[in-house]
Amino acid sequence: MSLSGDSVDTAELAPDLDAPRPNTSPGWSRGNATHEWWARMRASRSGMIGLVVLILLIAIAMLAPLISPYAPNELAGESLQAPSRSHLMGTDNVGRDVLSVVIYGARIALLMGLLSAGLALLVGGLVGGVAGYAGGAIETILMRVTELFQIIPLMVLALFVVALWGSHLWLLVVAVTIAIWPLEARIVYGQVKALKDREFVQVARVAGAPHAQILAREILPNALPPVIVQVSLDAGLAILTQTSLGFLGLGDPNAASWGQLLYAAQSYLSTAWWMSVFPGLAVALAIIAFSLLGDGLNEIYNPHQRRGTLGRSR
Amino acid sequence: MLWFVARRVAQAVPMLLSVILLIFVLMQFTPGDPVQAMVGQYPVPQSFRDSLTAEYHLNAPVWTQYWYFLVNLAHGNMGYSYASHESVTSLIAERLPNTLLLAGSGYIVGIVLGGVVGLITATTKRRGFDTLMQTGVVTAYAIPSFWLGQLLVMLFAVHLGWFPTQGMAPVDSNATGIYWFLERLSYLILPMLTYAVYEGARVTRLTRVSVIDTLNQGYIVTARMKGLSRWQTVRSHVIRNSSLPVVTALGYSFAVAMGGSVLIETVFSWPGIGLLLVDSIKQRDNQVVIGLVVVIAVAVIVMNLLVDMAHALLDPRIRA
Repeated sequence: MSLSGDSVDTAELAPDLDAPRPNTSPGWSRGNATHEWWARMRASRSGMIGLVVLILLIAIAMLAPLISPYAPNELAGESLQAPSRSHLMGTDNVGRDVLSVVIYGARIALLMGLLSAGLALLVGGLVGGVAGYAGGAIETILMRVTELFQIIPLMVLALFVVALWGSHLWLLVVAVTIAIWPLEARIVYGQVKALKDREFVQVARVAGAPHAQILAREILPNALPPVIVQVSLDAGLAILTQTSLGFLGLGDPNAASWGQLLYAAQSYLSTAWWMSVFPGLAVALAIIAFSLLGDGLNEIYNPHQRRGTLGRSR
Repeated sequence: MLWFVARRVAQAVPMLLSVILLIFVLMQFTPGDPVQAMVGQYPVPQSFRDSLTAEYHLNAPVWTQYWYFLVNLAHGNMGYSYASHESVTSLIAERLPNTLLLAGSGYIVGIVLGGVVGLITATTKRRGFDTLMQTGVVTAYAIPSFWLGQLLVMLFAVHLGWFPTQGMAPVDSNATGIYWFLERLSYLILPMLTYAVYEGARVTRLTRVSVIDTLNQGYIVTARMKGLSRWQTVRSHVIRNSSLPVVTALGYSFAVAMGGSVLIETVFSWPGIGLLLVDSIKQRDNQVVIGLVVVIAVAVIVMNLLVDMAHALLDPRIRA
C-alpha cells in the first residue's frame, strides 16, 4: 500500500522538451489525436488492464441497485454466516450481506476518491499554476506553504482534520483533499514554470494576450498530460486514505463503505475471515486499477521513458 | 562540513515555526470556540476550560495566542490529557519507544529485503523474474497495510497459531532470559513483517531504478572492458554508486512510515504513538492529538535534516 506522497517521480514527469507538440491543437482533443491516443493506450498493457478493471468497477457502482442481492444496510440474515449460496460473501456481525456492502461500497469509494482527486486538482492546480506563472515572492510563498503541508504525513494530516472537524462524509472528502492537494500543486507548478518561457508562450505574450488567456490557451493544454497521470494516481491514493480512515473507525458510521466493513472485521478476525478478505480485495483492486491506469497514461504521454510497471520496462 | 550543518539547522528553524503555525491555523478554523478545539467533545468542567483559556491566553489576539502556543511547546508543555489524567508529554514519551522499535525493525528488514531483490531484478537477464518481481511490487503497493496485517493475523495467528494476534507482550509472564526475548519477538514478528513488506516493495523499486541508471554509466562499460566479471562490477562499482539516491529517498520516506504506523499499530494493538493518536481522536482528547501531530511534524523535520547531513557526508559535492 502506499500512503506516500511520492507516487510519481517528479523527474519522470518533467515536461518533455524534446517532443515538438505545437500548441495550436490543444491537448489530444482533435479527432486524429483521439485515434492516436487510443492506439497508444491499447499498446500499453498496464494501461489497458487498469482501464478495464476501472470500467468494471464503475459499472458495478452504477448498477449497484440492480446487481446487489440486498440493500447495503439491510439485515439480510443471521449474523456472521460463512459464505454460502444465499450469501456469496457471508454476512457481517450485524447480519448485513457482505456482497451487498462491497457492491455499494464501490459507489462511496469511487465517488469520494474521484471527488477528492478532482478537488485536489482544483486547489493544487490553482496554487501551483499561479506560483509557477507569477514567480517572485508569490512563487516563494505559495510553494513554501505547499511544502509545509507535506511535512505532516498525509495520513496524520487527514486524521488531524477529522479530529478537529468531525467525520461526516463531506468532511472526509475535505480531509483527504487537504492531505493530497500538494502533490498536484507540485506537478502543475513544475509544468507551468517550465512552459512559461517556451517560444510559443513568448509569442503569445508579445502579441499582447492577457495572462488569463496565455494560461488557459497556451500553457494549461500543454501542461496537462503529467497532471492527468498524477490525478489517476491520486484517485487511488484518495481511496486508500479514505478507506484507512474508515478502518480506523473514523469514517461516516452511516455509510456502508469498505473501510467501515474492514473496521468491523477487526473484531472478528478469529471467526469471520470473509468480513476482511472481500472488502480488502475490493480496495486493493480499485487502487491497482488507478495505479496501472496511471502507468499506462504515463507511457502514452512520456513515450521516451517507458518505465511501465508491467513488462517491457527496459 | 560544520558550516553546512549550521546552515541547514538554521534553515530548519523557520520550517519548524511554520509547521506549528499551520497546525495552529487548522485549529483556528475549527467550528466552535478554541477551547472546544483543544479538548474536543470531551466533557470537561468549566474550571478546566478557564485554566486552558488562561494558559494559552485565548482571550488575547491571535498572534499572542500563537506566541503562547509556541512558548508552551518550547517548555515541553503540550497540555494535559483529560481522558487519562496525564501530561501529554509523558504520554508520548511512554509510547514513542514502542513505535521506534516496531517501525525501526520493520524498516531494517524491508531495506535489506528490498535492496537484495531490487539489485537482482535490475541486473538479472531473466525477464520473467523481473516481471514477476515488478508485479509483486505493484501488488504490495496496492494492498492496504492494515488489510495485509489482518490477513497475516488470520493466517499465522488464528489459523496456524504460530504467533499471538495482538499486543506487545503477554499480560502476565514469568519468562526470563532468552525465553523472555523469544516471547517478545513472537509479538513483534507479524507487525514487523507488515511494515517490511511495504517498505521492501518501496526499496525494491528505488533500488531497481537507481541500479539501472548506474548500469548505463560509462565507467561500468569501462569496468567490464577491463575484464571484470558481472558480479565483480556490481560489487565494486554498482552497489556503492547506486546507493546514494536510495539512502536519500529512504530518509524522506520516514514521514510515510509515521503515517503507516497509525494503521499497523491499530491492527495489532501495538501500544505506540500511532495507536495513541487514533485512541485520542476517538475519545475526543484533542490536547493529545495536537501534541502528537506537533511531535510527528518535528520528527519529520529532524529526520530530513539528518538525511541531508548523511547525504553531504556521502557526497562531498553537496557540501559546497
